[in-house]
Amino acid sequence: MQKVYSVGQINSYIRDMFDQDFVLSRIGIRGEVSNCKYHTSGHIYFSLKDESGSLACVMFAGARKGLSFRLGNGQQVIVRGSISVYERSGSYQLYAKEIQLDGAGLLYERYLALKQELEDMGMFAAEYKQPLPFYVKRLGVVTAPTGAAIRDIINVSTRRNPWIQIILYPALVQGQGAAESVAEGIRALDRAGVDVMIVGRGGGSIEDLWAFNEEIVARAIFDCRTPVISAVGHETDTTISDFVADLRAPTPSAAAELAVMDVRELLGQMRLYREQMQRAVGYRLEECRQKLLHAQMRLSHASPGQRLNADRQRLMEFENRLQERMQANLREKRHRTGIYIEKLRGLSPLDKLAAGYGFVTDEAGTRVYSTRQVRQGGQLNIYVSDGLIRARAEEIIPEDRSGFGGS
Amino acid sequence: MEIIKEKEAQAGTPDLTLEEAFGRLDQVVEALESRDISLEDSFRIYQEGMKLLKLCNEKIDQVEKKILVINGEGGLDEF
Repeated sequence: MQKVYSVGQINSYIRDMFDQDFVLSRIGIRGEVSNCKYHTSGHIYFSLKDESGSLACVMFAGARKGLSFRLGNGQQVIVRGSISVYERSGSYQLYAKEIQLDGAGLLYERYLALKQELEDMGMFAAEYKQPLPFYVKRLGVVTAPTGAAIRDIINVSTRRNPWIQIILYPALVQGQGAAESVAEGIRALDRAGVDVMIVGRGGGSIEDLWAFNEEIVARAIFDCRTPVISAVGHETDTTISDFVADLRAPTPSAAAELAVMDVRELLGQMRLYREQMQRAVGYRLEECRQKLLHAQMRLSHASPGQRLNADRQRLMEFENRLQERMQANLREKRHRTGIYIEKLRGLSPLDKLAAGYGFVTDEAGTRVYSTRQVRQGGQLNIYVSDGLIRARAEEIIPEDRSGFGGS
Repeated sequence: MEIIKEKEAQAGTPDLTLEEAFGRLDQVVEALESRDISLEDSFRIYQEGMKLLKLCNEKIDQVEKKILVINGEGGLDEF
């Protein structure tokens, strides 16, 4: 009876056979990429196929430095590595260490050589880079008249500035004569006069983008007096045009964003300037008006007219006070006069006469108030309330009345 | 900031680019907001600012345009 082996034993045996094979351990295979998957772990799984069949391939994350572009389905590549067995599934696969674009591999060599050459000539030097104008009125575009690139550029540009003038040079961007066409477009737009120029195209294979790696295009960009933005393919594609241009944009849309100023922003800024200026001048005016008002007030306080008015005022106050004083005095005097009248009334001789007193004079009419004024037998006049009595002094009898105190 | 000379304000403006005009407007606003300019200067500078704004408006040229296609000889056609 034949010997029976386990699956593990046989897979391991086959694997050893593969691994010992000199050819399989160092092999280059040409084919087209399909089923390409970038795994989150960093490994890339894909198949290589040709008319006759396909071959499973893997590039481990650790070997990724052997791949300088993004692997994609449909690419013609040359993969170098080793073929071994994956024991768990009993399948063999190509463990890729290095992947190059086939044919493009040659192109890539040329690309590197030209890049080095132009760099050595200083064509990428920062001092030749022209700044983009602040505000672009005329935008030149060198690209294919059909396709996403021109549509994106038109959309983005007119969205940012609806009044922009776009001038397109419809260039052949791939295939025979593309580089010449692009270079001619750059020169034509430079002659016509635009503020800035976008040169580029949408994404494609390295062969599709090749025109932008040609020296004739690089020179046209370098010689162009108008600032040039290069926008070739996708973000990951880098062409010589990108290096020599004044600015590199990752995509045509991004190029339009970079080239065209958002006009609403400008108009908004202008509104702001206007407001700020008006506010500042208004504020200044108000300030001056206030100062003027203040000065006016101070001036009018100090004016001769005002002084005169103030003096007049004081004068009137004096006059009033004087008048009041006079009135008061008058009232007081009148009052006192009243009192005197009352007093006098009490002292009136007539009243006294009416009360039975008499007023005595000598012949000469001099009031008699002392015995000493009268001689015996002398004539006296006695006035009473209703007339005069002539009398003679019969007897004079002095008496001491000093105790009465009347005089 | 130095006060903008009157001559400059009148003769210099038409040649300004939009960017320069904006830079100048920055200065104008700054000057107007500073406390130590006279009322006369502020009026003059304000006037210059208004001229600059007018210039900006003209530079922006708010007319919608057709997209043009240029050929190798420099002839222009509508796209």
